[in-house]
Amino acid sequence: MMRLNSDVELLDGMPIAHIRSLSMIVVSDLHLGYESHMAKRGTLIPKVNLKRIVKDLGKAIDTTGAKTILIDGDIKNEFSRVEEDEFNEFYDIVQLIKKRGLSLILIKGNHDNFIERYREPFGIKVFRQQAEINGYLFFHGEELPDVKKDTRMLIMGHEHPSIGIYTTARKEKVRCFLYGSYKRKPLLVLPAMGYFAQGTDVNLEPKGNLLSPIFKHVDIDRMEAIALGYGSTMSFGSVGKLRSARP
Amino acid sequence: MIQITDKPFDDEQSLGVLNPYVREWFGKNFDELTPPQKFSFKLISESRNILITAPTGSGKTMSGFLSIISKLFDYSLAGTLEDRVYCIYVSPLRALNNDIHRNLQRPLEEIYKMVLKKKGVNVIKEGIKNVTIGVRTGDTPQKERAKQLARPPNILVTTPESLAIMINSQRFVESLKGVEFLIVDEIHELANNKRGVHLSLSIERLAAMSDKDFARVGLGATVAPLDEAAKYLVGYRGDELRDCTIVDASWSKKLEVMAMSPAKDLINTPDNVIEDETYKRLNSIIENNRTTLIFTNTRSGTERVVFNLKRRFHYGEDIAAHHGSLSRETRLDVEELLKKGSLKCAVSSTSLELGVDIGTIDNVVQLGSPKSVARAVQRIGRSGHSYKAVARGEMIVLNRDDMVETAIMLDSALKRRIDTFSVPKNPLDVLAQHVVGMSLTKKWNIDEAYDVIRSSYAYHDLPREDFESIVGYLAGDYVGLESRHVYGKIWFDKETQMFGKRGRLAQAIYMLNLGTIPDQVAINVVNVKDKKWIGNIEEEFLSRLKEGDIFTLGGKLYKFEYAKEMKCYVSDANTNAPTIPPWYSEQLPLSFELANQIGEFRSEFADVVRAYIKSNRIKSLVQFDKLPEEIDEYLGRLPVDENSKFAIFGYFLEQILYADLVPNNRLLLIEQSKSLDGKEVYVIFHSLYGRRANDALSRAVAIKLSDMLNREIGLMVNDNGFVLVLDGRVNVTERMVKEIMGSITAKSIEPMLKENIRRTEMMKRRFRYVAGRAFMILRNYKGRRMQVGRQHINAQLLLNAAEEIDPDFPLIKETYREILNEVMDLPRAEQVLRGIKAGEISYKMINTIYPSPFAHNMITFGHADVVLMKERHEYLKSLHKMVLENINRKK
Repeated sequence: MMRLNSDVELLDGMPIAHIRSLSMIVVSDLHLGYESHMAKRGTLIPKVNLKRIVKDLGKAIDTTGAKTILIDGDIKNEFSRVEEDEFNEFYDIVQLIKKRGLSLILIKGNHDNFIERYREPFGIKVFRQQAEINGYLFFHGEELPDVKKDTRMLIMGHEHPSIGIYTTARKEKVRCFLYGSYKRKPLLVLPAMGYFAQGTDVNLEPKGNLLSPIFKHVDIDRMEAIALGYGSTMSFGSVGKLRSARP
Repeated sequence: MIQITDKPFDDEQSLGVLNPYVREWFGKNFDELTPPQKFSFKLISESRNILITAPTGSGKTMSGFLSIISKLFDYSLAGTLEDRVYCIYVSPLRALNNDIHRNLQRPLEEIYKMVLKKKGVNVIKEGIKNVTIGVRTGDTPQKERAKQLARPPNILVTTPESLAIMINSQRFVESLKGVEFLIVDEIHELANNKRGVHLSLSIERLAAMSDKDFARVGLGATVAPLDEAAKYLVGYRGDELRDCTIVDASWSKKLEVMAMSPAKDLINTPDNVIEDETYKRLNSIIENNRTTLIFTNTRSGTERVVFNLKRRFHYGEDIAAHHGSLSRETRLDVEELLKKGSLKCAVSSTSLELGVDIGTIDNVVQLGSPKSVARAVQRIGRSGHSYKAVARGEMIVLNRDDMVETAIMLDSALKRRIDTFSVPKNPLDVLAQHVVGMSLTKKWNIDEAYDVIRSSYAYHDLPREDFESIVGYLAGDYVGLESRHVYGKIWFDKETQMFGKRGRLAQAIYMLNLGTIPDQVAINVVNVKDKKWIGNIEEEFLSRLKEGDIFTLGGKLYKFEYAKEMKCYVSDANTNAPTIPPWYSEQLPLSFELANQIGEFRSEFADVVRAYIKSNRIKSLVQFDKLPEEIDEYLGRLPVDENSKFAIFGYFLEQILYADLVPNNRLLLIEQSKSLDGKEVYVIFHSLYGRRANDALSRAVAIKLSDMLNREIGLMVNDNGFVLVLDGRVNVTERMVKEIMGSITAKSIEPMLKENIRRTEMMKRRFRYVAGRAFMILRNYKGRRMQVGRQHINAQLLLNAAEEIDPDFPLIKETYREILNEVMDLPRAEQVLRGIKAGEISYKMINTIYPSPFAHNMITFGHADVVLMKERHEYLKSLHKMVLENINRKK
């Protein structure tokens, strides 16, 4: 368990943040329905995404005893509509969460068109742009957030950050959280939870290629990269340092 | 039963089986029967299965076709010739198909004219029709196809891929059911690869739906073992191998061959002298013959030779290059010019070694070793067009290992000892493709389908569980029920054990994605620092790159960093030792058998040289004007020129004086030494087992040593051994070597290699090919072609996901099988390891100050460029100098 402060911690080896005061776990970018999206374009990828997510969420609920789960955007993959498989997987996730007695909050991401229609039947909360809950400001990341005076921390997804690390003539890609500040408030960028959202190596990619407009205001090199993998979560120091450590 | 016959029928017996018109036509056009025809006319007329191997110009095509044409005219004259296919001819070469069509059209017309002349208007009354012939390849226009469907040709000329399409087209199958003969041409180009395995399943499926078992005729150049090729051709009926008679006429053409060295001393003779001498020889051969064909082993070599010949000897348009990178038009032009006899010389990498008719060649010259006896014979066999002519070939060789290699190769060719091939066994991706194909034509009981598949020789031992895993995979077992309609290519009902096609798209998916040849593109090489583009390499070359490999591109050295999709990232290499030559993926590996023969020679000749050293008390190297008698006598048995004898003798003499030991096939010498600048330690394994077995062995040794030392190890693999490159402070002790050798066994090597392969470029790229063949990545889907880069990204996601659900996923299993058996030679590597364990092969470790002469070519291998090799030569020379100084100091 890695603590960012007395209230926020990152679960070991998982792309999940835990906010103790809210009894909430936060994840992002699940991209449900990815495999069937690919299958319809001629690549038959076996379905593993949902299985992995269910496993991780189950474990996170067990260890934290959280009462709420917040998905910080891009729960599904297809832009233009809700595909059948997306709906089925979405349904499974909601059922799991309900069965475990948690409530679900969705922040709408750029992939999440038409998601509002499930607000009623599933009894979930959907926020279109951002949500502020007890000083925590959740937003997906494709637009700049509206920071309030009493904001304690900003939490976003969208970017799918990872870092590229060279071992002997091979490059390893490791997903990571990014932790820094925006407008003098702490900013946490969540890694993608989706199995196939491999991630952008933020220490290798030129800054201009980053997706979120927030990086026009935040120097990513000054953010801390907190990598997860092989069952643990640990800080790798600043992105800038990792960038210069390249061969 | 498979049997070889060497008793030809007499001419009357052979010609007696022919229809009178056909016989008359043959008599008018040919003076006599060629060697294969003396067997084939009668055997084929009896509808026997037959495999004919014969050289170019031996009337091979006619030997396969004439009895069939004769039979078809019998039907025609009896008025029973129907509009359906009686004979299918399959060739892997599309160009050859047009040739065959042309070459058969004329006889058919001439024979029919003779019938017309004799019968007059009665042809109409008696309903005598001409025998028809049609070509069906990927290039055949839609209009022509429709015509063929309406009125099928009696003789159908096609490719493996087009045949696979036809047997799945319900309407066309009707006209194929009565096939009586199937000819497979260039069988040596098919039996050893997945394309051929694919064809074998098409053939068995055709047999299963035919009214009666058709006769199979296989045609090809020399192959070994012959019975393996025959088994590939005929397959099984039930549990019994079909009968086949083998006619081996491949040696009917006389061979005249010679290995030549441009200098007595290949090391100390200056580069320009060697180069001058090489071109002088080439020129004199060209001048003294009407048409000469030169083979280099690489495309760049081809261009350079043409350039140099033109520059040095003022040739003009009468010299031309022919290789795979040239446009189709250019290649066809060159072939046409050759046929017309208007070229003095053609230079080719490999593209002219196959089938296509190129007219009369007087002489073949090979620059550098062609690496296999079969290939040498095939290439030299392109000269002397008639079977009565002598096939003449010279091999000019520029380094001492190649010198020994070609000498033994040509000696083996003269002794008719050919390296062996093997049929790939049970490839699951090809199987998956055919199971989908089968489901298109009808509903199958799984046992019945298994029986059809097992009648192919390649699948006769297919484990039932592998077959079921493929059916399960295709039925979408690996996803939940609700999405099988998307993932499943077939349905499978466990109750009834039946399977069949699923979905409206199945047919289209099959037709558009069928085949075994993967899409490939050029890879951009980019500097990892500034992202600047450096040049292109072939994907095949990229897939061979290992951690830490260093290679040359555009005259500079680069270190392989990593690859991403269609880009290869490199950094500037701060060393002068490339580990892999740029043509590595172009050049064929040395075969295991030939390596063994070389090993035998090394051991024998080393004894001869040792005896000479002893009896003459030689202590240092001396210059010889004349070869010692016993040496001259021993080497005189090989087809080599005078210079070569000096070169070979000098090579062995140096090795023995310097290191005492000469590595051979029963003595694996392990030599620890240093680079000239002392910066690197070399551990040189003189393992003479061919490149593919060495590829497997070297990885295992590198893994163990790297674990032991906990550091990065460079690896150079070639035909005569492999070299581990370590930084200069390391010392590898004899005990460490013993421990390593003890831990690598025939049992342990496979899991070690799999673990090692898993994260390599090779695995990623090969998995893409396999996934494409097994229809997991549809290269062409709903009319859209997926770009290769996209295919690659998707293949990686696929690989990760498949591993996640099942590490033994059938396509992962197939990828390992392909790499271990086709890229590497794991079975042979295991054989070597068993030999070591049993003590038949011993290993010995020595330490040298500088690498011994037999290691020099291995160390400079990365520099090697067959024709132009200045840099390499410089390095070789300095190595050589150090060794000589050392020998002299010892004295």
